[in-house]
Amino acid sequence: MKLWQKNLFGLLFGAGFGGILAAGTLHEYDTIHSMLRMDEFYVYGFMGTAIMVSMATLWVFERNNTRTLVGEEIKLERSTPQKNHLKGGAIFGVGWAVAGTCPAPALVMLASGAFLAAVVIPGIFLGIHLASKGDNLGFGDGEHHSTRESSVAV
Amino acid sequence: MDIQIIFASILPDRSPWFIIGPLLGILTAGFFLVMNQPLGASGAYTQTLNFVQKNGYRTIWRIWYFVGMAAGGLIVTQFLQDNPGFRTGFDSFRSASPLWIVIPIIFIGAVLIGYGARIAGGCTSGHGICGIAQRSKASMFATFSFMTAALVTTAAIRLISGGKL
Repeated sequence: MKLWQKNLFGLLFGAGFGGILAAGTLHEYDTIHSMLRMDEFYVYGFMGTAIMVSMATLWVFERNNTRTLVGEEIKLERSTPQKNHLKGGAIFGVGWAVAGTCPAPALVMLASGAFLAAVVIPGIFLGIHLASKGDNLGFGDGEHHSTRESSVAV
Repeated sequence: MDIQIIFASILPDRSPWFIIGPLLGILTAGFFLVMNQPLGASGAYTQTLNFVQKNGYRTIWRIWYFVGMAAGGLIVTQFLQDNPGFRTGFDSFRSASPLWIVIPIIFIGAVLIGYGARIAGGCTSGHGICGIAQRSKASMFATFSFMTAALVTTAAIRLISGGKL
């Protein structure tokens, strides 16, 4: 796939994701907070159905040996649980509860005109920077390892 | 303004979860068909940071993905819903505490979000949705960990704030 096509798909899927989050007011502190207070089922239903539908679809893809648009085999990543998943998850969870948002909704929050997102987004960047310690490799299951080799200096 | 009047309130203030949840599931799976990659948001932050810091490893399309998330949010909140304009966000937090308390606390929370997501290798979207959808055990562990931590922290906040938050 050509570079501009990748960029275009990145933009379109990003817009779809951001739009869905905005449609569900997932960018509002109150939505996340009322989920974590267990006052409301909404976000559980949203995330639960998203997981079920994507899991089932990926399972069907895998069974049928579905190829991607450019004819690649679909690669699913399954890492072994390690300490960092639990430790990082716990730190992330505390931040999630305190700030009432996470990385993607923070961007939607800014787009919705909520100026306090201008406090949150730099904070997330700072946290990533502090945790990176000069190691600029990509993410684990949020980003495939295969990108690491193919994407250097792209 | 005219555009806003024509398209405003196409979408309700909040769309039902049983419509947008499955839609996000299709989007996530569809991304594998097109890009063969999981749809994680914290990876987009890392790549954008790498780009700004001019680090060697970067995938440009993840930066477009980063921009896209904000663009999609902009279109929906400003044009397709009936409540455009500026707002502060954090409504219930702000009604419980003054701004000089809210700002440092959400900043600290945001640093923890970035730090934790970087160490865990993903956030709510990367581990919580894409990771579990790929049946990755590591993602299930990470999701269990952040859900537990968030629920406990929220209960603690509720106690500290005297039930206001």
